[in-house]
Amino acid sequence: MAVGLVFFASSSFAKDTIVYGTTEKVTDMDPSNAYDFHTWEIFYNIYQGLMGYPAGKTNLVPNLAEKYEVVDGGKGYVFTLKSGVKFSDGSPFDANAVKWTIDRVARLKGDPSWLVTDFVDSVEVMDKNKVKFVLKNPVAYFPSLVATPPYYPVSPNIYPPDKIVKDPTELTGGKLVGLGPYQMVSFKRDQEVIMEANPNFYGPKPKNDVVVIRYFADATTMRLALEKGEIDFAFKSFNPSDINDLEKSNKIQTIKGQGPYIRYICFQCKTAPFTNNIVRQGVAAAVNRPEIIKKVFLGQNAPLYSMVPAGMWTHEESFKKAFGDANIQKSKELLAKAGYNATNKLKFDFWYTPSHYGDTEVDMAAVLKAQFEATGVMEVNVKSAEWATYKDNWRNQVMPVYLLGWYPDYLDPDNYTAAFAGTEGSKGNGIFFSDPKWDAMFVDEQKDPNEKAREAIFKKAQQMWTVEVPTAPIFQGSLYLFAQKNMKGIMISPTLQLNYGPISKGK
Amino acid sequence: MNYSPTAALGQFIRRFTRMGKQYGVEWWILVAGAIVILGVVSMAMFATVIAPYNPYDQDTGPQLSPPDSEHLMGTDNLQRDVFSRIIFGARTILGVAILAAILSSILGISMGLISGYAGGGFDKVFSLVMDSIYSFPGLILAIAFAAMLEPGVTNISIAVAVIYIPTYFRLVRGQTLTIKQELYVEAARAIGAPGSTILAKYIFPNVIATTAVVFTMNVADAIMTEAALTYLGLGLPPSVVDWGMDLAMGKKFLPSGQWWLITFPGAMISLLAVGFTMLGEGLSEILNPRLLEK
Amino acid sequence: MKNLLRYIIGRTLLTIPMLFVLLSIVFVVVRVMPGDPVSAMLGGHAPEKVIEQKKEELGLNRPLIVQYGRYLLQICRLDLGDSMIFKQSVMSTLRDKLPATVELTFFAMLICLAVGIPFGAYAADKRRSAQDYGIRLYGIVIYCIPVYWLGLMLQMIFGVWLDIFPIAGRTGARMFSSTFDRTGLYILDTIVAGNVEALGDVLIHLVLPCVTLGLVLSGIFIRLTRANMLDVLKADYILAAEARGIHHRRVVYKHALLNAFVPILTMMGLQVAILMAGAVLTETTFSWPGMGRLLLERIYLRDYPTIQGVIVIFAVIVALISLVVDVIYAFIDPRLRY
Repeated sequence: MAVGLVFFASSSFAKDTIVYGTTEKVTDMDPSNAYDFHTWEIFYNIYQGLMGYPAGKTNLVPNLAEKYEVVDGGKGYVFTLKSGVKFSDGSPFDANAVKWTIDRVARLKGDPSWLVTDFVDSVEVMDKNKVKFVLKNPVAYFPSLVATPPYYPVSPNIYPPDKIVKDPTELTGGKLVGLGPYQMVSFKRDQEVIMEANPNFYGPKPKNDVVVIRYFADATTMRLALEKGEIDFAFKSFNPSDINDLEKSNKIQTIKGQGPYIRYICFQCKTAPFTNNIVRQGVAAAVNRPEIIKKVFLGQNAPLYSMVPAGMWTHEESFKKAFGDANIQKSKELLAKAGYNATNKLKFDFWYTPSHYGDTEVDMAAVLKAQFEATGVMEVNVKSAEWATYKDNWRNQVMPVYLLGWYPDYLDPDNYTAAFAGTEGSKGNGIFFSDPKWDAMFVDEQKDPNEKAREAIFKKAQQMWTVEVPTAPIFQGSLYLFAQKNMKGIMISPTLQLNYGPISKGK
Repeated sequence: MNYSPTAALGQFIRRFTRMGKQYGVEWWILVAGAIVILGVVSMAMFATVIAPYNPYDQDTGPQLSPPDSEHLMGTDNLQRDVFSRIIFGARTILGVAILAAILSSILGISMGLISGYAGGGFDKVFSLVMDSIYSFPGLILAIAFAAMLEPGVTNISIAVAVIYIPTYFRLVRGQTLTIKQELYVEAARAIGAPGSTILAKYIFPNVIATTAVVFTMNVADAIMTEAALTYLGLGLPPSVVDWGMDLAMGKKFLPSGQWWLITFPGAMISLLAVGFTMLGEGLSEILNPRLLEK
Repeated sequence: MKNLLRYIIGRTLLTIPMLFVLLSIVFVVVRVMPGDPVSAMLGGHAPEKVIEQKKEELGLNRPLIVQYGRYLLQICRLDLGDSMIFKQSVMSTLRDKLPATVELTFFAMLICLAVGIPFGAYAADKRRSAQDYGIRLYGIVIYCIPVYWLGLMLQMIFGVWLDIFPIAGRTGARMFSSTFDRTGLYILDTIVAGNVEALGDVLIHLVLPCVTLGLVLSGIFIRLTRANMLDVLKADYILAAEARGIHHRRVVYKHALLNAFVPILTMMGLQVAILMAGAVLTETTFSWPGMGRLLLERIYLRDYPTIQGVIVIFAVIVALISLVVDVIYAFIDPRLRY
């Protein structure tokens, strides 16, 4: 719904306006339920967390908080909030808002709520500017959790306490009120979102006045719009052929980020024959990553040999050491051990979802099918389901082998491992892998503040991954942002945070 | 009478041109359409012989290379040969379109015959349902059906068939109603001929001629509908080779200058649809000639 | 006149059962679709209990008959319900998207008529000549070109290489529709707002999509116009007019065409269905924010109420236009009223 028509004197702007194009879609204007990259990016700019990352950097710094103390042997975190901070409608921000928000997230049980409920037991208001998080167990990386959107304080005056909000019109007053550098003034789902600089923001003023996000139905149209100068920059997602062309273009600047975005194959560990880890190993051995990258992605992206991405602390190329690529020999050996050969082929359904990860999925599935069948002992039936059905399927254990992708919630190897192989996380992603040894291992690394100890655990985990293979990593994605040559201040980082504030148009 | 093959061929050609002189340009339109169709049908039938590569083979040559002597229509991003995919794609589109046309004609004709002959409330209800479907945008209904069924050749044929049933129904029912009044039908009924005999002997043969024209136009339309559905990503799984799907997958590469990925599938869809349309137009002019031509 | 009124009433009443039939078909089709909207809303991590609760809340657990009954009652109250996925009423979503489709189809129809009628008349006039066959061939071929393919070609040629026209959307990226948007019909809105710059922007964005759709449809129109004109040209009064020495071109394009106009009008009524179908494909190609694109998106999300709502609107539009056309025809030709 168009809100705030009064802001615009004419249809073009005297104010400094940045137009940003994307093919992504906004989901829910509610940090308690939104769990996608793009909506979280908007939240980075209209909300703030107690902790956060400076633009383009990966070090965690206090944001709404002044500082924090760890108490109770790691089970308690006391945050001292900045004073004098106001919501964009002028109402004051205090510890009550924090408690109210966290309670609401836990109550609504939205998609990303596990980021709160898995770790936080309760929240106590100690005084107007002091709030204490009581954890279930000590968590070494808790501050980075606090930097995730489910923890972002929302105004108790406008958010309904027991309903998930999808559109800003559902909020009391019809406007989205937040603590960030921008406030949302117009929201037309799948068309455009308009944000203006928030005069009540406590931090540095943005270098532009208005940010408009334009939603495109497909990447080709967006690429052409960028080349014609209709938009200032575009981010997520481009076709591989567009990326190649735009990189070479001297009218467009390329801003490439090392993405901590990973893609992998999941095995439904409760369905035969994938209950047998030898079979899972055999399938994983046949994967030819460089070929996928060349054919499907025209050389962009990097092969990934571990669930922990390259560039992240503790990363090891465990799958390369264990299997390599297109190791047909090993694949046949392993599958033979499980009783599969040329006359008794391993037959399975291989699933992908056609649009959620972009339209390269179709090709990736086709290439993987060819790779699996190149062993001569596998027969693969490729199937697909739209995202809604896909999620339903993995919950109902319908898909024995399927493709999935992951953007990190927080920058820690735990988010790339426990989420898939810990009993709870594994179930949530449809993998249903469960091993008490592994769970114990994850509990250990979560509790232990000692870096060296955690490193050892993660290295061991990656090694064990090649034996149990609940998932098989394929590639790691680079983030590409393309902008007009005169744009300045665009920074993307592995935190996936894109701040609109520093962006400006040069002359 | 000379029975040698050359003489027979000569006779055939003579008959052919006589038809042409008799019916004029319409005949040649029909012939042109028939030639196109025959061409594509033989392409589909002899696909395994004609196609230089396996359409699924992901290793036929360089990636995204333009048409050349090795790959008449170039290669796609998975290094598959486009020409081979076009050839095998003919099977899919012809299969679906003809299957759909057969399904809808069988259902539509039989329902039209029965409904027209039976009359009464039964007829009213059926006509209502059929008119509703007929007046509604076919593609949209087909989209809804295709989204409901699991992707596959049979299912997409069903989705496409549903929207054409009313065409046959209306045509046949109308004719049935007229013929029903004829004296000879009344006479047949007087001597006790059962309804089924009347339908089969008297009504059905009269209906066939017009139905043939509708059938060819139906196939032409079914081709367009099938291509539209698969272009939108509905109806067929990617494991089936299909022109509409290849068009959808190839359009990403158009701004990069790789035109051959969409030009050939699009041209083939148009060509095949034109072929059937021309056949239908020619047939219609010949079977229902315009009187008092100047 | 009394008969005309009776006809109008009878004809209007007939529309209702037709709509009912369509609604029922759509309801069944949509509910039988695999995959459920609750997963789309809540995500993979939601516990079973929450999903069940949500389903209960939306009434998805009741037997199909009950859901059908509720749905029919809602329609009777002209309430299309709320989207299952987004907390927006279906009616308001449709209100947002319908004008876009209306504008597109309206101008496409204009182009279709502007091309189809003159060429069709000319072909009928020059019967059996090279021009006639040429035009007929054009008519056949252009309709058989997939509208999305033609769209892509025009996008590349005129949008990219020649860079004359924009290739997507209703307005430029820097033009904000909220400044003039009132009815959603941007041509009207910009004129009312007196915003010339916006008007120009909206017009230029209409060119490629409307030309694409209009050209493809002109194929049928040419043939239909030609067929009707041929019938009219055979009439005695035409011969008489020529005999009286009236200039041939006037005879054809004034007298004959005008007489052929009424059947052409009815043809337009029938073409609305094809127009809508073509609009769906045109909207996806040009990222046009209309009902066609909405339908496809919501099918992916399994948003039953919106899908049903869109189809209902399509059905209503088609029914209304054919009703209007029938009434006009009955008004002009009294024989039809009986």
